[in-house]
Amino acid sequence: MSFKADSKVLIQGIAQTLGSTHAALMKAYGTNVVAGVSAGKGGQTLHDIPVFDMVDQALPVVGPVDITAIFAPAYLVLDAALEAIAAGIRQIIIITEGVPPLDMVRLVAKAEATDTLVIGPSCPGVIVPGKVLLGTHPSEFYIPGPVGLISRSGTLTYEIARELTRSGLGQSTCVGIGGDAIVGSSFQQWLQILEEDDATEVIVLVGEIGGASEEAAARYIDEAIDKPVIAYIAGHHAPKGRRLGHAGAIITAGLADLGADVGTAESKMAAFKQAKVPVAQRASQIPDLVKKVLKKSGHKKK
Amino acid sequence: MDLLEYQAKELFREMGIPVLPSQRIDHPSDLKGLRIPYPIALKSQVRVGGRGKAGGVKFVENTIDAVAAAQAIFHLPIMGEYPQVVLAESKYDADQEFYLAVILDRAARRPVLLGSIKGGIDAEATLEYIQLVSVDEEFSPFYARRLALKMGLQGELIESVSGIVQKMYQLFIQKDLDLVEINPLGISATGQVMALDGKVSANDEALGRHPELATLASKMSKRAKDEEIPPALANQNFVQLDGNIAIICNGAGLTMATLDLVCFTGGQPANFLNISPLSNEAGWGVASYDSIPGNPLPKEVEGWNEYLEQALELATQNKNVKVVLVNILGSVTLCEETAVAIETYLKRRESSSRTRSVLHFIVRLVGGNLSAAKQRLSAIKVPLVEDLEEAVAKAVDKAKAVVGY
Repeated sequence: MSFKADSKVLIQGIAQTLGSTHAALMKAYGTNVVAGVSAGKGGQTLHDIPVFDMVDQALPVVGPVDITAIFAPAYLVLDAALEAIAAGIRQIIIITEGVPPLDMVRLVAKAEATDTLVIGPSCPGVIVPGKVLLGTHPSEFYIPGPVGLISRSGTLTYEIARELTRSGLGQSTCVGIGGDAIVGSSFQQWLQILEEDDATEVIVLVGEIGGASEEAAARYIDEAIDKPVIAYIAGHHAPKGRRLGHAGAIITAGLADLGADVGTAESKMAAFKQAKVPVAQRASQIPDLVKKVLKKSGHKKK
Repeated sequence: MDLLEYQAKELFREMGIPVLPSQRIDHPSDLKGLRIPYPIALKSQVRVGGRGKAGGVKFVENTIDAVAAAQAIFHLPIMGEYPQVVLAESKYDADQEFYLAVILDRAARRPVLLGSIKGGIDAEATLEYIQLVSVDEEFSPFYARRLALKMGLQGELIESVSGIVQKMYQLFIQKDLDLVEINPLGISATGQVMALDGKVSANDEALGRHPELATLASKMSKRAKDEEIPPALANQNFVQLDGNIAIICNGAGLTMATLDLVCFTGGQPANFLNISPLSNEAGWGVASYDSIPGNPLPKEVEGWNEYLEQALELATQNKNVKVVLVNILGSVTLCEETAVAIETYLKRRESSSRTRSVLHFIVRLVGGNLSAAKQRLSAIKVPLVEDLEEAVAKAVDKAKAVVGY
């Protein structure tokens, strides 16, 4: 992973309302947005960003690109991502919601074969406070600090970042990995990235009901993560069997009607308990838990 | 979206998966024009499982018995769902019954093939016999043969069963499905295979590129007796509960967190509604539009007022609602727009000729300079709270004071 202040960033779907708005916000934050891509809009300029018809046409002009943020409509996302991979871009952030899961299956296979990091879809992207904004995080909620934040949701991530900021803690890197059933990068991948990130001293993992990714993350923390981790699970009181906006956030049996018992708040809490990861019951408890582990690990306030 | 058995079987037929001759029965009298010979099975067409055990499948030998059985099935709710259609199907003598499925494994992010030689009604009992083959690369028929061998099949059954699995997989990919299941796959004494029951779940996200499935979905949703949900909110998540606090938030995660907080604080949610159309072009709630000098407000954001008003209308339909907790995390612009929408909604409610009970609003907004929103809300005596915990505590206290629990 290299999300640095000088990373060169492309915006695919820059002529979409959401893409255009956030391209401007990213640029205003200081992100090095070098080009936009939108078929049919080549030659134009949006927020002082040159727009090209295809990724292939942008690269010879602006040079190699480190990251692309995709705002294309859902059914065009797979194609846009494959276009970026073909052009040699190895970090892809998909903001768009509603990408069909079988498209993600194809994209994930391609990403594995080409060693590409795919974040999202249905995600707010990544923010390294004070350095770079890659996505839709409202930057006013964030300040630089020692906490790495990984989450499946958007606005809940903002809420928790805001709590951390209000307690004077701040964040190292925050990522929303996406609320869909199939997302490009997993909790484990991000735990590893933050484990290796020097700016991160403690990791906050924000999970929710549905799927088994928190359970898998808990096992991974137990085996491979040395930095302290604090977890939080949303959806304790969500009724069973109802889809709650995130395609992943539904409690159903893992395999058709076979009755596998995963995905509930209880099963996730139990998994974290097993891995000795403290779990906050309320978002507002997170800063205190973070302070506690920082104190234990000898963190000194600079 | 789950299809009904007869709809799944139409897809099977198109794919060349063998199914029995059958006929759709919309009314018991349709049985007089039955074109398939007796004996037949009459099967309740509901989307929930456990239909055989509940008495939703009956075998009959003649028209008189068939009409009586159909009448009984039409009047038999299965887990609360009444069938709109009954399927009449030829009877089949199966020597063995297998279980087959193609589903998406979310963790592995790959399709998997499932098979068991102990299929049939008791899915739980088949669990320990289930074999699994993960489709790790481009599909090729050997994956299906691998499953057949793992299931312990021999001789001609290897080819016939793996042939079915292969077609199920093609259907799964072609139609963007979440699940294709055949349970049971009947095996006759001579080794012939027949899909006796089938389940197909289409993926909602992909319906837009499968008009034929979308049509089926729209037909089915017309029959559902859901609350009257305005079109703009149709894809949002509105869930009715039985308390007295309505919860409106933007974002699925934040909605769940707020719901939890209300419950942990001793409150009783009446419903919750997530109004976060991230997929919406405007991207409400995720941006500070006005933090860029000279960036005009996207036109679509103006629609937020109307959208939120509809959400308020929907969330307060239920008479049990005493308190409305609005929790919106967004930009400065969004804050003021939210206040405007609440103001408009309350004014309209006041002037409405219907006598309605008093509603208490607690509004939690954050995003920056809130003074404009605060002014508007204080003029109509709605408290604006920036801290989520405090907002929830106020909402719960209010509800307790009103209801007296």
